[in-house]
Amino acid sequence: MSRTITTVKPGLQTCVQELPGREGFLEQGFPLSGPFDAWSFRQANILVGNDRDTAALECQFMGPTLTFDADMLIAVTGADMSPSVDGAPIPMYATVAVSAGQTLTMGFAKTGARAYLAVSGGIATEPVLGSRAVFHQAGVGGHALIAGQALPVGASEASALYVLPESARPVIGTDRVWEVEALCGPNDDWLDEATIEMFFSTDWQIQTKSSRTGIRLTGPEFGFSDKALNKSPDHGQDPSNIIDHGYPMGAVNLAGQTPIILVNDAPSTGGFINPFTIASAAFWKLAQAKPNETLRFRRVDRDGAAALRAEIDAKTKPEILQNA
Amino acid sequence: MLHEALRFYPGGDRAIEVELGDGMDFTINFIVHRLVAAVREARIAGLVDLIPELASFQVNYDPDRISYEDLCHEIEALYAEMGRGVTGTLASRLITIPVLYFDEKTEACVEDYRKDYPEKTPDPELICELNGLPDRAALRRRHASTEYWVAALGFWPGLCSLLALNPTARIIAPKYNPPRTHTPKGAVGLGGALTCIYPDATPGGYQLIGHTPAPTYDGAQRLPDFADSLALFRAGDRVRFKPVERDEYNEIETRVAEGSFRHDIVDYQVFSVDRYLDWAKAQEEASK
Repeated sequence: MSRTITTVKPGLQTCVQELPGREGFLEQGFPLSGPFDAWSFRQANILVGNDRDTAALECQFMGPTLTFDADMLIAVTGADMSPSVDGAPIPMYATVAVSAGQTLTMGFAKTGARAYLAVSGGIATEPVLGSRAVFHQAGVGGHALIAGQALPVGASEASALYVLPESARPVIGTDRVWEVEALCGPNDDWLDEATIEMFFSTDWQIQTKSSRTGIRLTGPEFGFSDKALNKSPDHGQDPSNIIDHGYPMGAVNLAGQTPIILVNDAPSTGGFINPFTIASAAFWKLAQAKPNETLRFRRVDRDGAAALRAEIDAKTKPEILQNA
Repeated sequence: MLHEALRFYPGGDRAIEVELGDGMDFTINFIVHRLVAAVREARIAGLVDLIPELASFQVNYDPDRISYEDLCHEIEALYAEMGRGVTGTLASRLITIPVLYFDEKTEACVEDYRKDYPEKTPDPELICELNGLPDRAALRRRHASTEYWVAALGFWPGLCSLLALNPTARIIAPKYNPPRTHTPKGAVGLGGALTCIYPDATPGGYQLIGHTPAPTYDGAQRLPDFADSLALFRAGDRVRFKPVERDEYNEIETRVAEGSFRHDIVDYQVFSVDRYLDWAKAQEEASK
C-alpha cells in the first residue's frame, strides 16, 4: 500500500515546510522559508516520533481536508482549526492513530492563524536545493496543495501515543494583543532617539495585507537621525533608503513610513533600513497573530534573546512528551 | 568610500551586517566579494549563510554555536590578513543577454502605471532627460555599450544588481514612487546606478527600458543552462546586453518555449581588478 496523503480540499494555502529551511541560497535571492511557527511545528513532529525538523504541513487561516491512504500517526498543533477525523473531533498536541481511508477535516482558525500537521515518517516530497520547504510565491519546492494532489509520506515504525503537557505548549491568547521581543539594530542609528522609544511604547496594528513574506504594521510616523537625512546620494532620496544590503530574517523594514516585519518568505536584500529585528524565539507569535490584532514590542538584548531560545528549545525535545 | 575599519551591526540574534564602505562603487564591491570568499573559505563553525551586497555583507549564524563577538573578531582577523589593497583576481563568466529595447510588454506596463500617475514621465524619456541623452536610440546605444558587473543578487530568486564597468557608460535613474505592483518577467530596468533584469513577474521600482526573452530564472530547471542552478547569474559574473530586433526576439522566444535555448556564456574567464581599474581610468580620461 502506498504511503500517501490525498488532498480533498486544500484549505487556504497549505504548504509543505521543513527546518532549517533552504540554507545557503540567500545570496541568490532565495528566502529561507520553513515553518513560520517553528515551536508548534517541532512539537507536531516529536508527537509522531519524527525528528523535530522533519517536513510537515503548515496550514494558514483555514485548514485542509485530507484522506490518509495508509495507517499512520498524526498530530495537529498551533492554531485551533477544529480538527476532526471522520467527523469526530480529535485532541490537539496529542498523537492520533489514523487508519487507511480515514479523513481529517480542518476548518477556520478559532485561535491563532497557523496550524501544523505532522505525520509519522514525514512528508517525503522531492527536496529542491536541499530542502522540502516551499516558497509558494516563486514555486520553489512546489506550491500550496491543490485538490486531488497526493503527498508521499516516508516510512516509520513509530507506534507510541503521546500528549504534550499544557505547560510546554505555546499560549495563543484571546485578548488580541501580543508582546513581541525585539532587538535594536542593524540600522537603529538612522532613527532619532525619540522614535526608538516610540517604537517600544506603541500599539502597532497588523494590516490585512500580511503574509509569510511580511507583516505590515500601522502606527505613528518615524523620525530620522542626521545619518538618514545627510547621506551620500547613492543611498537614494527617501530618508529610509539605504545602499542595498542584506535583510535579516525578522527585520522591521521601514519602506517609507510603513514598517514591514520581514519573515520566512521575505526578500533577502533591498534598499530600505531595518532599525529593529524580532528575536528569533518570538517568531511564532508573528505566525499566530492575525490581521487587526495588536503587537507591542519589548526590548531585549542578545542575552535575553538567547534565554528565550533556550526556553523554547527545551519545550520542543522528545523528553518532554508524556505517555497518552 | 571605504571605511577605516569594518563596521558591525547586529541584525537580531542570528545575523550581522558587516559594512565595508559607503557608496555604489566597483572597488568597494570587489573587496566585499574578496572578504566574503575569505570568510567562506575559513569555514567558521556556526556560520550558516553569507549575502554579499554592494558595500556590505550579511552573515547569518547559529548563536548557540558561535557568539556575536567571536564571529566579529574572526571576520576582523580575516580582513586584516587579506589587506585592503585593491588587487587580485576573481573567476568571472561573461554572459550575453539579448534585449528588445522599448518593447510593447514593458511599454504597456509603463502606460498601465501612468493611468494612475499621469504626471510620471515615461521611463525612457525620463532617463534620457536625466542623463543628457538626445533620444531613445542614444539610450539604447549607451546601455548596450558596456559590460556590467554582477555586484549582488537578491530580493527575488535570480534578481541581479548590475554595475556598469565602463564609467563613461553609467546611467542613473530614480526609482518609482510608489513602486509598481507588477513588472513583466524579463523586463530590463534601471534604478540608482544599477541595471537589473526581472527574473519573474514581481513588484518593482526600477525604470523599464526593454525586455529579454532569455530566462534568468528557471524554477522548473527545464532549460539546459539551469541544470545546476535555478538562477542564471552568480555574483562576480559579467553581463553584456545585445540589442536585438523583433525577428530575433521571436526566434529566441520560440527556442525557449521548445526548451532548446542556450545562453551565450563564456566560462573560465579571470577578472583582474588592477588591469580593470587602469582601463576604467583611461576611459574616463579619454572622455574628458
